[in-house]
Amino acid sequence: MRCPDIHRAVLAACALAGTCALAAASALASPAEVKGEVDARLHAQLPSIETRDYALGSAAFDEELRAQEDAHADAAKPVLAKGAALWKRRFKDGHTLSACFPNGGRRVAVAYPQYHPRLKLVFTLEMAINQCLKAHHEALLDYDGAEMAAITAYVRSLSDGYRVAVRVPGAAQAHFENGRRMYFSRLGQRNFACASCHIVAAGKRYADVPLSPVVGQAARWPFLRGEEVLTLQAQIRACLERMGAAPFPAGSEELNDLEYFLTYLSNGLPIRANAWRP
Amino acid sequence: MRGAALAVAALAFAAASAARAEALTGAQIFLRPDKGNCAACHQVSDPAAPKTRSDLGPRLEGARMRSIGRERLRALLTDPMAGNPETLMPPYGRHRILDASQIDRVLDYLDALP
Repeated sequence: MRCPDIHRAVLAACALAGTCALAAASALASPAEVKGEVDARLHAQLPSIETRDYALGSAAFDEELRAQEDAHADAAKPVLAKGAALWKRRFKDGHTLSACFPNGGRRVAVAYPQYHPRLKLVFTLEMAINQCLKAHHEALLDYDGAEMAAITAYVRSLSDGYRVAVRVPGAAQAHFENGRRMYFSRLGQRNFACASCHIVAAGKRYADVPLSPVVGQAARWPFLRGEEVLTLQAQIRACLERMGAAPFPAGSEELNDLEYFLTYLSNGLPIRANAWRP
Repeated sequence: MRGAALAVAALAFAAASAARAEALTGAQIFLRPDKGNCAACHQVSDPAAPKTRSDLGPRLEGARMRSIGRERLRALLTDPMAGNPETLMPPYGRHRILDASQIDRVLDYLDALP
């Protein structure tokens, strides 16, 4: 049996080892205060891990995994070549995706997702790519399709090494709060919250793999598994499946808000896109 | 009439036996990701179980399982939050991840651990 009504589950009471106080206390806290509380908890819990190493995810806790990633450092080349070709492809009107973004897309990924004040919603990198296509009368791409994944892999590679710098203006706080609330809520048949694994149990091993801390997760997407490109939202959807919850659609307001919350928590960490995963 | 009733009972018995024969063992329920998936969190003292470094939950050993006792373990598997609202363990009975018979088989497996 799966829990079909995820919205009801989202609203269910949070009762999670050591995070209830954090979640409750954070209910009216500013994004900076929430980030401060999460950072402090992880530092207390993982004293041997440097903050900059949070961006390594599971590999921060496992030398062997880190060596495997290093050995597959070139795995992204074919995907990046495909993404670059799509990025520079001329539209029917002669424009390109590259020309839609400042600096040809260099360093733009650090500021996504961002709040769109006119639409009053969180605007992701994928939405910005589709907005460019729409403005130039090109067919839109599937949010979680292979072409969109290749383009985001390439664009995020143009920000490799630059620090995540997502802003949450006052008007966007409800979206940040929605993402925070979902992160701390138990969901699905297995009754886990995202925070169960990535805050409470960060660094412990689930199915033999160390659980990545919440801080850093948004700095290192997409991942490559074989030839598949896993965006942050694809990864969240896979987690929701494991939790026995019906995953929200890619690009839904729920996942966009969750991505917004997660990315803000990774502010200040350098982007490391396209790491290989076993 | 009595003969027909006996035949129906025999058929029912045969069907139940066949279902039991096909039923997963406690070890299988313990390990399978779509069932208990217990090995994702716990190491276990079963020499036949895959070796893992999973440590989200405590290592499960026979002596400890037997000292806790079958009924307390059953309550824990059914609804661990009843005893500990902050636990990360799934409510196998309350959320119908496993049925009563499957929980029984997992309890048999835990009880028989070395």
